[in-house]
Amino acid sequence: MFILTWLTGLLRHRAARLAGSVLGVAMTVALLGSLGVFFAASKAQMTRQALAGVVVDWQVQLAPGAAAASAGRAIAGAPGVVKSLPVGYASTTGLTATAGGTTQVTGPGKVLGLPPSYSAAFPGEIRYLVGARSGVLLAQQTAANLHASVGTLVAIGRKGLPPAKVVVRGIVDLPAADSMFQAVGAPPGVSLQAPPDNVVLLPQAVWQRDFTQLGNTQPGAVYQQYHVALSPRLAPDPAAAFTDVTARAKNLEVRLAGAGAVGDNLAAQLDAARKDALYAQLLFLFLGVPGAVLAALLTAIIAAAGGDRRRREQALLRIRGASPRRIIWFAATEALLVGILGAGIGLIGAMLAGRLAFGVTRFGATTSQAVFWGALAAIAGFGLAIVTELVPAARDARTITVRQARDIVGPASKPLWATLYVDIWLLAAAGIVFWRSVQSGYQVVLAPEGVATISVSYSTFLAPLLFWIGAALLSWRLSNAALGRGRAAVARAARPLAGGLAGVVAASMSRQRRLLSRGLLIMALTASFAVSTAIFNQTYAAQSRVDAQLSNGSDVTAATTAATGLPPRIFGATRQLPGVVAVQPMMHRFAYVGNDLQDMFGINPRTIGQATSVSDAFFQGGNAQSVLARLAARPDAVLVSDETVRDYQLQPGGLIRLRLQFASDHAYHLVRFHYVGIVREFPTAPRDSFFVANASYIAKMTGSPAYQVMLTKVSGSPPAIAGRVRQLLGPASGAVVQDIASQLKITLSGLTTIDLSGLTRLELTFAFILSVAASGLVLILGLVERRRMFAITAALGARTRQLASFVWAEAFFVTLGGAVLGILSGWGLSFIIVKILTGVFDPPPPHLFTPWAYLGALAAVTAVAVIAAGATVIRSAREPAMEIIRDL
Amino acid sequence: MNDILVRAKGLTKAFGAVTAIAEATFEVAAGDQIALVGPSGSGKSTLLHLIAAIDRPTEGQIEWPALGGQRDLRPGPVAIAFQGPSLLPPLTVAENIGLPVLLAGGTEVEAAAAAEPLIERLGLSDIAAKLPEEISGGQAQRAGLARALAGQPRLILADEPTGQLDSTTADGLMTVLLEQVRATQAALIVATHDTAVAGRLPLRWQLIDRRMQTGAELSCSS
Repeated sequence: MFILTWLTGLLRHRAARLAGSVLGVAMTVALLGSLGVFFAASKAQMTRQALAGVVVDWQVQLAPGAAAASAGRAIAGAPGVVKSLPVGYASTTGLTATAGGTTQVTGPGKVLGLPPSYSAAFPGEIRYLVGARSGVLLAQQTAANLHASVGTLVAIGRKGLPPAKVVVRGIVDLPAADSMFQAVGAPPGVSLQAPPDNVVLLPQAVWQRDFTQLGNTQPGAVYQQYHVALSPRLAPDPAAAFTDVTARAKNLEVRLAGAGAVGDNLAAQLDAARKDALYAQLLFLFLGVPGAVLAALLTAIIAAAGGDRRRREQALLRIRGASPRRIIWFAATEALLVGILGAGIGLIGAMLAGRLAFGVTRFGATTSQAVFWGALAAIAGFGLAIVTELVPAARDARTITVRQARDIVGPASKPLWATLYVDIWLLAAAGIVFWRSVQSGYQVVLAPEGVATISVSYSTFLAPLLFWIGAALLSWRLSNAALGRGRAAVARAARPLAGGLAGVVAASMSRQRRLLSRGLLIMALTASFAVSTAIFNQTYAAQSRVDAQLSNGSDVTAATTAATGLPPRIFGATRQLPGVVAVQPMMHRFAYVGNDLQDMFGINPRTIGQATSVSDAFFQGGNAQSVLARLAARPDAVLVSDETVRDYQLQPGGLIRLRLQFASDHAYHLVRFHYVGIVREFPTAPRDSFFVANASYIAKMTGSPAYQVMLTKVSGSPPAIAGRVRQLLGPASGAVVQDIASQLKITLSGLTTIDLSGLTRLELTFAFILSVAASGLVLILGLVERRRMFAITAALGARTRQLASFVWAEAFFVTLGGAVLGILSGWGLSFIIVKILTGVFDPPPPHLFTPWAYLGALAAVTAVAVIAAGATVIRSAREPAMEIIRDL
Repeated sequence: MNDILVRAKGLTKAFGAVTAIAEATFEVAAGDQIALVGPSGSGKSTLLHLIAAIDRPTEGQIEWPALGGQRDLRPGPVAIAFQGPSLLPPLTVAENIGLPVLLAGGTEVEAAAAAEPLIERLGLSDIAAKLPEEISGGQAQRAGLARALAGQPRLILADEPTGQLDSTTADGLMTVLLEQVRATQAALIVATHDTAVAGRLPLRWQLIDRRMQTGAELSCSS
C-alpha cells in the first residue's frame, strides 16, 4: 500500500525526473538493440551478396574413368542441390581461323561442351555479345585474337587427331571465367590458375562427337564437371552458412567415394563474407558500444541530478520512522518502473530505428541471435535502472546520516583513481597496446583461406578502449586542476562576464569542481564519441569510394580486351556528354618480364588524375604527385611492383627489358624501359604484379596507339552516364561499361561489403541526440541541482545578468572545455581505430577525413542546446523560487 | 525627506484557497524597531517576504516611498535574514557575508571590508573561512544575519534570527543587531516567538487569525 502511494507520488510530483531516467534507459536499450538489428541486417546482407556473387555454387569434377551417370545421380540427390548439369572440358592445342585473307593462329585453349539448358540454369556464366545464343560460341578475347566473327570457320586443334572444324554462331563474354576454369581439387595454398586466353563453347552433342575420342587417347586432355546450383535457403549468418555449405560439400565427396571432387565456389565466397562479418562485429564494438556506454552515463547523470532531493526525502522518511529496508523498497520500485518503461520504449525504438536505417526489425540474423540481442538490450536497460536508481539510494539509506544528506559541496578529496593516476596508466597502456598492434604483419582478423576457424585479435580493442577511458579520466583531472589550482585564472577569465562577481563565481565553481568536472567529462566523452564516429565514418565512406574507384577505375569506366582497343571516336563523344567532367584514355596491354606475363597500363601521367583518384597509398617511396612526375619526366620510364623489384633486383633508374606485342606481327618483341618507382595499386589493375608506363612510349614502340580503357569522371549520375556510353559504343563493340555506384553495391572487398550507411545514419543520429542531451541536459540538470542556491541569490537581490554570469561561466567552462578535450580525444580515437582496422581499408587512407559539415552542424546544435538550457535556467532563476524561499 | 519606508494597505496573500495574510494595513518609518509576533503558521514569514518584495500580494497595495521602486530594494535598502539555512553552499562564511556588497556593485575589497567587522562582532572569526556545511545551525543563522547587515540596509527584516540560539547568544546577537540599527538609523522588523527578543523592541505587531494588529491597535486592545 505504501509502495503504491509512493509510486503515485512519484508519477505526480517527480514525473520530469522519472521521464528523464526512462528516456536515458530507453536510449541505451535502443542503441544496443539497433546494433543488434545492424548485425542482423549486415550479416544477412553479406550472405545474400555472397550468394548473388556466385554463378555456379559447386563445380564437381569427376575423376578420370568415373561412372558419369551414377555420379550425376549422386550429385542431383545431394541435400540442397537444386540443379546440376554436366559440362565437358577439353584442351585444344590451338585455334586457327582465316579472315580477310589472313590466317590467325592462337595458342592452347579450352573447349567446353554445354547442355542446351545451361545458360538458363546459370544465367551469369555467359554474356551474349554478338550473334546467336546457341550453337558454336567464341569467347570475346578469342574472337579478337582470331579476328573472327559470326560465320567464321574455326579449326580446333586436337592433340593426336585432326582438327575439328566448326562455324562460329556467336561471340560471348565469360564474366566468371576465373571460377569456371579453376583447378578443382588443388590443395589449399596453390596459386589461382589464370583462365585460358582462348575458349570455345560447343553444344554438348557437338563436343561429345569431337572430343570423346580425344578422351580415350589423351585422358588428361578431357574431363567432365557437374555444375551445381544449391538452394538459396542458407543461414543468414555467413559463418554458419559457410560451415553448412562446406559440410555438405564434404558429405557429397564422401558419397561420391573418390569419383569426384567439389570445387566449392559458394564456400569460397562465404569464406570472405564471414571475415567481413567479423569486421562488422569489430566495427560494432568500436563504434557502437561507446554510444551505449555514453547513454548509460547520461542516465546516471539524470538519476544523480535527483540525488540531492532523494537524500532529503530519505532523511525525511527516516526522521518519520521509515527503516532503511523500507526506503530501499521504495527505490527498488522506482528502479523497476524505470527499467520496465525504459526497456519497452527502447526496444520499440530499436525496431523503428532498425526499420528506418536497415529495413529490418529483427535483432539478430538467427532466432537465437534475435533472442540474445533483444534480451541483452532489455537486461542492460534493467541493469542500468538498478545501478542508477536503486544502488545510490540503497547506499545512501545505509551509510549517509541525516546531517550528511544536507551536504551539497561534499568533501574535496580526490577520488582513488585520481590519487593513483589511473588515467595516465590507462593512456600509457593504450599506447603500448597500440604500438604492438600496428607492428608489421599484424592483422586484426585472421581467416586462413579454406579453414573453418577464424580468429579475431580481440586484445586489439584494448587500445581504443583504454585510450577512451584514460582520456575521459584525464579530462576530469584537467578540469579539476583548472578549477582547483587554476581558480585565479578562472576568475580572470570570468571577469568580462561576471565583472565584480568574478571572484565569487570562480570560488563557487572551484568548490563545486567535482560536479562541474563530471559535466565536463560527459561533454568530453560525447564530443569524443561524435567526433570519432563522424571521422571514422567519413574516412570509411571516402575509402569505400577510393576502393570502388580502384576496382572500377573511375566513376564510369569502359574497357575492352580487344588488342584493337576502344573505338577512337568514343573518347571525344563521351567528353561531349552532359555531366562528364573529364575523360582519360588508358592502355591495357600485357608484357613479359622474363617468363612472367604481367598487365601493363599505359597512361598520360600528367593528366590521369583528372579522371580518377590517384592516391598516395598506390605508390611506394613517394607520394602520387612525385612518382607520376618521375614517370612523366622520362618517356621510357616504368613503374613496377615491389615483387618485381625484388625478383629482378632492380635499382632506381635501372634498365628493364620487357616484351610487348607489336601491331605489325602480333608477336612479342623486346622494349627497353627504365624503372623509376614502385606501384602497389592502380585503377582497374589486378592485385598482383603489373606495370605502369607512358602511353605515348608504348604506342611508339609497339606501333599501336590503341587504348583499351576509358576512365571518366562525372558530376552527374554514374549509372545514367554509363548507360549513355554503352549506347555510344553499341552492342557489337564487346566493351564493358561499369559505373562506380553499381560497383559500390557489389562484393569486392572487406571494405565495401559491410554496408555502413545504415549504421552510419544510426550512429550519427545517436551522436547528435547524445550531444544535445549531454550539453543541454547535463547543464540544465547540474543547474537544477543548485536551484536552491539560485533562489537564495535571487532573494538577496541578484540581477538577471549577475545570475547569468554564474550560469554562463559554468556553461562555457563545461561546454568549451569538454568540447576541446573531446575533439582531441575523438581525433586520437579515430586515428587509433583507423590504424587498427587497416585490414578494412584497401588501400589504407592517406589521412583521416573530417566531415566538417556534420561537425559544424553538431557544434551549432550543441551551442543552441547550451544557450537554450542556460537561458531556461536564467529565466526560471530571475524570480526567486517561492517554494524554496518559503522553506528558508 | 520622506521617513516612511514601507506603506501597505489592505495587503492580502493567499495560496490557493488558504489565506496567509488578510487585509494588513501598516506603515514602517525610518528607525522603527518592530517585533512581529504570532503563532506558527500565522503568516509572519509571508509578511516579511511581501515587505521585502520577494513575494507579491494577492490583493492590496504596498509601496516603499523612501526606498525607491520595487526593483531597487534588494540588494541595498532592504535586507532579509532567513529563518532556515540560507547560506550559499559553495561560498565560505566570509564570502557569504560580503555577497550583498558585491551584488550591489561593490568591489571584493569593499565586500571584505564590510564583512570583517560583522564577523568579529558576531563571533564568527573562527569559522569565517569554512563552508556552510561545515558549521552548526546556530553559526549559520548568525552568519545569515551578518549577511543581512553587511550592505548597511535601511530596512532589516529578520525571520526568527535567534530560533537556533541559546538565550545568552540570542541576547548578544540582539545587542549587535540593535546597535547596528541605531548606528545606521535603519528600521528593523523581527519575526519571533521569543518574548525576550520581542521585549527588546519598542513596537509590536501581532498576527492573529491571519489579521495583523499594529502597535496602536495593540495598545487599544490592552
